[in-house]
Order: sequence, then structure tokens, then C-alpha cells
Amino acid sequence: MTPLDQVILFVVDLSALLAVYLIINVGLNVQEGITGIPNFGIVFAVAGGAYITGGLSTRIAVSLLGTQTNLDPIFDNISVLQLVNPILRSQPPTAIALLILFLIIGGIAGALMGLISSAPAVRLREDYLAITLLAFGEILNVIGIGYKPLIGGPIGVNVPDIFGWAGQYRFYAGTLVLLLVATAIFAYAGYLIKTPLGRTLKAIRDNETVARSLGKDITQYRTVSILLGSTLCGIGGSLWVLYSGAVTPTYARFDWTFLPWLMILLGGMGSSRGVLVGTVIFVALNKLIIYYKHAFVGILPFDIVWLNYILLGLITILILIYRPEGIVREKWTAPKQNLSAADKEVKAG
Amino acid sequence: MGSLLEVKDVKRSFGSLRALDEVTLNVDEKTVTILIGPNGSGKTTLINVITGLQKPDEGHIYYGSTEITGWSPQQIYRTGIARTFQIPSMFGKLTVLENLLVAEKNHPGESFTKSLVRRLWAKHERDAVEKASKILQLLGLSEQSDMSASLVSGGQMKLVEIGRALMSDAKLYLLDEPVSGVNPTLAHEIFARIIRLREQYGITFFIVEHRLDIALQYVDYVNAMVSGRVIAAGPPEQVINDAKVIEAYLGG
Amino acid sequence: MALVTLSTIVGWLTYSAFLSLMALGITLLYRTTKVANFAHASFVTVGAYVTYTSTITLSPNPYFGVPVAFVLVGVVAVLLFYAVLEPMRRRNSSTVMLMIATLSFDIIMLGVVNIHADYLTNAYVLPSRNVTLIGSDFKFMGQPGILFVALGTLVLCSAALYMLLNFTTLGIALRASMENSSLSEAIGINVSMMLAISWFIAGGLAGMAGALIPLWTQINPNVGTFLMASMFCASIVGGLEQIYGAVLGGLLLGLVDVVGTSVLCSLVGPWVALYEPVIPLLVLSATLIIAPRGLAGVRVRRGK
Repeated sequence: MTPLDQVILFVVDLSALLAVYLIINVGLNVQEGITGIPNFGIVFAVAGGAYITGGLSTRIAVSLLGTQTNLDPIFDNISVLQLVNPILRSQPPTAIALLILFLIIGGIAGALMGLISSAPAVRLREDYLAITLLAFGEILNVIGIGYKPLIGGPIGVNVPDIFGWAGQYRFYAGTLVLLLVATAIFAYAGYLIKTPLGRTLKAIRDNETVARSLGKDITQYRTVSILLGSTLCGIGGSLWVLYSGAVTPTYARFDWTFLPWLMILLGGMGSSRGVLVGTVIFVALNKLIIYYKHAFVGILPFDIVWLNYILLGLITILILIYRPEGIVREKWTAPKQNLSAADKEVKAG
Repeated sequence: MGSLLEVKDVKRSFGSLRALDEVTLNVDEKTVTILIGPNGSGKTTLINVITGLQKPDEGHIYYGSTEITGWSPQQIYRTGIARTFQIPSMFGKLTVLENLLVAEKNHPGESFTKSLVRRLWAKHERDAVEKASKILQLLGLSEQSDMSASLVSGGQMKLVEIGRALMSDAKLYLLDEPVSGVNPTLAHEIFARIIRLREQYGITFFIVEHRLDIALQYVDYVNAMVSGRVIAAGPPEQVINDAKVIEAYLGG
Repeated sequence: MALVTLSTIVGWLTYSAFLSLMALGITLLYRTTKVANFAHASFVTVGAYVTYTSTITLSPNPYFGVPVAFVLVGVVAVLLFYAVLEPMRRRNSSTVMLMIATLSFDIIMLGVVNIHADYLTNAYVLPSRNVTLIGSDFKFMGQPGILFVALGTLVLCSAALYMLLNFTTLGIALRASMENSSLSEAIGINVSMMLAISWFIAGGLAGMAGALIPLWTQINPNVGTFLMASMFCASIVGGLEQIYGAVLGGLLLGLVDVVGTSVLCSLVGPWVALYEPVIPLLVLSATLIIAPRGLAGVRVRRGK
């Protein structure tokens, strides 16, 4: 591979990861940045989307494509996929349709996880909510490892080759689709902030008591926010599985709860631009560090990933102490006053 | 003129502290009534209990002929009762205009499904913005309209509080010290506007206020509270000359 | 009731002792610093590795590490307080920010423990993951010694804490700081130091719980994380507003978890054991829905 090829592959891979994290971070931002809900358990929704996609996609593909087989989609995963993948590779529209279907299912799974983990505490003080959400975040990996029929236990399963129709450009096609979905979701988030719903969510974040006195049903709005955010997290998890081609029960709190928090904290919570800035900076830096990690192997007597933990934990703490607003401070989104200058004069006069 | 708000034998304690000790009072429709009393007499607690932020231990509260005892703040607001806070509480990261817009009732744009289709809420939003802008103009806050609410002065925050109440189209306003920290000229202007609102729209005002020097000339009735009880109620001249009231203010 | 054997009861009491020790610290910190300490998990993990390391380097007695863990983890906790939380408190950081800070510290300690585990393996050519010291335990009256040590530690610590808080000047100052920090500050109490002391105690308690865990199960750098849902559940069940509720919370959760799983396994089948981690979540959810203030809250309401 030429150096140029290496660079391109690096950028493509980075863009895919960037897209997935952007989606998840927007999902977190809707909950924390906009509504002030400290969801320390978004890994639950991400893993939910990932597991559902991993666990059901092969089964769904088999039934929708009309493939005749007695093999089990989970336990005989490889063999079943050998029957399914050629069909997908030759019929791009079908593959895309399946992709959309899996995303919808992943989103629903995410929403469901969000609902389950928040329901007991959504009426209560934010400390209780935070603790509950965190506690639920730990559970899916345990079930995933233990309950084999779900995603095949510790080794996991593969998923249908959704991007196989692109042949050798599989990863480029995948990254492109991921970026498209991320852009759409990001655009939606920007739109949400400008709607009355977004405004009310922010009001609840800023001062819950006053919002209550102004007639806002806090529990209902919190639920909407959590459902929306969790749906996005589920879509992110689902996309990641489809892009990587497989799912394993390794959706850790570090990767899918802590890092998103770090990214939106870094960029600036609440503002869309902040989420983008934080995600881009972090993903790029982290990818670079990991890429050059092989230079450290042998020098350090331990896996560099642990150093990563320490470093990132320290950085987060430093941000919290010295620059908690993040890089991009939130801009107040004043609604367009639909009076032109001329109108204003007429009304004043 | 019938009674719009009736508070009957309301009690509320916090542990061993009896904040409200059998409070009974009436507020007649289309009047400007103020509630006076020394610090700690329970005035803000009474407002909190009426507006549902706290529940009474005993007693009843009626709005017109409906009993509203124990209703949630959301229900109370939707019924047509608005309140302001003694310590101005802004939505800090929203603009002054947005602070008012949040107070708008039944905005279709607040529902998730409707928010997705701009056409379903754009008109209501335009109308709300116009209404809010007019209110800001009334209060002299037009220049601060796009400023972050946390950056305006304390006195201006009080005005935003009032502006928010005005957005609600409420028929009963419970104002908690609306002009404390506001310069006398503006305070007089505010009370003058309160009178005008009463004339024009038939709004009823129940105001907790200390600045008797400013407020007294505008009010129809005065209620005096001490240690969680109402000790006097009636027209201003009658109440301020009441022996118990004088003792409470001078003796305390 | 052949469903519940003696060993189930032993398992329940031992597990509950751990949970109570951990929950005591969580509730204490919540009462003093008003923050849910998400680093508590790693406090426990550090304690576990102190014991394991001490059996390698200091003394083959598996209980030797307990006092060492108390001090070491106590110091770590104070470090978290002074280096991270105190500067943030002074800058008026919100509760959420404080929680993120404790979460970040947890991540840092996770890295440190993993590095230590790798170091142990490299330096001593010994496994350091999924290891246990159950075999080194003594037996008393036919039961594993850990039962008595764990329960004994819980009883001693609860008593010591009670005496400290109620009969010493320091304890009274601590309680004053808990109830009203600004007033305490005004009358000359060094609130910051009081908080630091509460962190030392809470960390020490968690460290001791962690130090005892290798005698009951396998440990690895995720042992604290694995228990996170349970320790917080125990704390909430007992009531976040009442320190001693943590002991009851630990007992109750332990009962439902250990005895409940055992009974269900006998009735339905051994596959139930797979879902044991779900139990604290169920108990937590039930508590929040029925009585969010926990057992302490229920008692208070009935008393009125």
C-alpha cells in the first residue's frame, strides 16, 4: 500500500468512528446539554442498539430475503451468512432497505433501553436519576456474555454484509453512509434547538422550579428528551455494528459513556457546534495516539490503553476545574423576529 | 364583585416551624390586593402553597368556585393563575425574549411530533414573539431583548419576571415583591401599569409587598400577616391604622 | 425450607457485610459532600488488590492487607477530595460536574489498577486477574472465616462510626458540617477538613470491603465496577439521607440477591444464576418507585 493509500484508509476509518460518535454525542447532548439530564448510562442505549442489530439482523435478513435454511442465525452464524451475503451483494437497493430497517430497529431498541433505565427515577432529583442510569449501564454486557442465544456469547456474531455491494470499496461506502446519517442527525439537532420544544427543554435545564410554575410538565419533557437521546444512541450503536460487520459483548462504560461525556464537555455542552468540535478534536487525537501506539510497545511494561484511561481521566478533570464551559460557549439562539426594519418603524410610529 | 381567590384555614409546617397557622383570606375579583407582614411571617410560603409548589397540611384553596387545593403548579398555571418569584429566577442561558416565550401556554411547537413540522407551529411562534416584544416594550426592556437573561441587572430581572406573568394571559397574578430593588420611578410606573391592566383586562392582583410608601396609593385592599396568621384585612387606611398591625411592625 | 441452606445464609451475610461497608461510605459522602461518588467502585478494587499484593509482598496472611487497605484507600479518597472536588466546590461547580469528576477519577484508578495488575504479573510471574484467596482462609465452626471477619468488621466499623459521630468533639463538628456547612464555617469549624475526614473514612470503609473480597470470590480490575450497581442500590434502599440505613440496605439487598437467587435456582433451574446482576437493578427500581427515600424515609413517615 502506498503512503497515500495508508493516509486515505486512516482518514476513512477515522471518519466512520467520527460519524458514530457524533451521532451518540448528539444523543447525549439532547439529554444533558439541552435538557440537563445527567445520563451516565448511555452505554445501555448504545449497546441496546448494537445487540438488537447484531442479534436480529441475520434472522431478519433470512426471513425477508426468503432464504431457505434450517440453520440457526446465531449458532450457525457464519454458514447462514454465506447464504445471505451473496444476495445482498448483488442487490444494492435491498441492502440499503435492510440498512434502514436495522437502523430503525436499533433506534427503537435504544429508546426502549432509555425508557427502562430512566422510568424509576425520572420524577426524582437528578442525583437519583444519574445513579439509576449509571447502574443500568452495567447490565447489558453481563447478559450478552451469559445468554448465548442473544449475540452468541463472548465471541459474538457477524452481521449481514450491508455494504458488500460496493466490493473493494466496502469501507468507503460504509463511511459515506455513516457520514450521511450523522449529518442528518446533526442537522436535526440544530433544528431542535431552534424549536419551541428545544427552548422549553433548555428552560427546564436552567431552572426547573420556574419551568414547573409556568405549567411545564417536567416529567413528560424529561421523558421525551431521554427517549429522543436514547434513540440516537441506539442508532449509533446499530451503525457501528453494521460498519464493523460484527457485534461482541464489549460495550464498555469507558468507550460509550465516559468518552461521549468527555467529548461534549470538551466541545461545550448545549451547543451543536460544541458537540462537533469536541467530537472531531477528540476522535482525531485519540486515533492518532492509538495509531502510534505500536511505537510504545516494548518500552512500557503494560498495555498503553491503560495509560489512555489515566490521561483521559486527568484531562476531563482539568477541563472540569479550569474550563467547564468547554471550547465553544453556547450561543443564545434568539428566534428570528419576523419584523423587518420597516415593519418595526411602522409599529413604533 | 365576587371572590376570585379564597384561602380557608390553611396550615403548613416545616418540621416544628409553623409557617402557616390557619390562614384565611379572600381576594376579590378585579382588585389590587397587597399582603404585608414582617420577614418570616409566611408570605412567600402562602404564595408557594396557593400556586402548588408546596402542599398545605390542612385547609382549602378555591379559585372562583373550583377547589385547587393540592393541585400541581402545572395545573394551577393552566387554570389562569400566574406568579412571580421574590428572588428573580431567570432561565440563565436563554435570552430575555426567550424567557418570556417559554411562558406561552399551549404552544404547539412544544410537542415533539408537532415540532418536526415547522408549518404546524410557525404562526403561533410569530404571534408569541409579537406579544412578547410588545410586553418587553411596555416594561422598557426592548433593548435587552436578545441579551442573555443572566446578564441583565437585578431590577431588570424583576421586570422579566413580571413580563413572564404577562405572557400567561392569567386572570389572577400573584406577585412576590415585584418592585424590591427597583428604583422608585420605575416602581411607580410598574404599579401604574398594574392599575391599567386591571382596568383594561380585568386582571386581579395579589401582591406581596414591603414598599408601602410606593404601593399603598394603588391598592384596594390590604391583608396583614404575622407569624403565619392574617391579623387584619380591609381597605388600606383601616389596616394601617389597626393597632395589631402597628404593634407587629414596630414591636417586632 | 430445604430451599435455603446454611451455606446460602452464610453467603447472604457475607455479601451483605461487603455491601453495607461500601454503602456506608457512599451514604456518608452523599450526606457530607452532597455528591454521589462514582469513584467508590475503584476504591473497592484498590482495596482488593492491596490484599492480593500484600499476600505476595508482605505477609501470606490474607487479612494482613485489611488495615493497609483502610489507610491506603483512605488516602486515595482524600486525594480525590483535595485535588479534584475541593477546587471544584470553590468554583461552585454543579452537582453533575462533581459526579463527572468522580467518574473520571474512577476511570483513572481503573487504569492504575490495571497497570498494577500487569506489573504484578510481569514482576512476580503470577496471575493477577481472576485470582482468589479463598483457599487461604481459615475455618471456624465449619464456616469460612471470611463470614466472621466481614461481619465483625461491619459491626466494629458501624459501632466506631456511631461513637465517633455522637460522642466525640470531632464527630459533632462533622455532623454540624453535614447539617449546615455555612453556619459551621461561621462558628469556626474547618468544614473543608471535616469533609476530608469523611472522605478518609468512606474511602477506608470501601477499601476494607475491597480488601476482604478476594477471600470470597475472584478478583480482577473490574471487580468494583461489577459491584457498582449493588453498592448504590444498597445505599438507596437504606436511604441516602440516613447513614445507618446503609447497613439495612446491604442486608436487604443481600437477602434478595443471594437467598432469592438460590431459591429461584432450586425452583426453576440453575440458569437463573445468569441473571443475578439484574437483581440489584430490580430492587433499585422498586425502591425508587415505591419509597424513594429508602427504608429511612419509610420509618420517618410512619413515626409522624
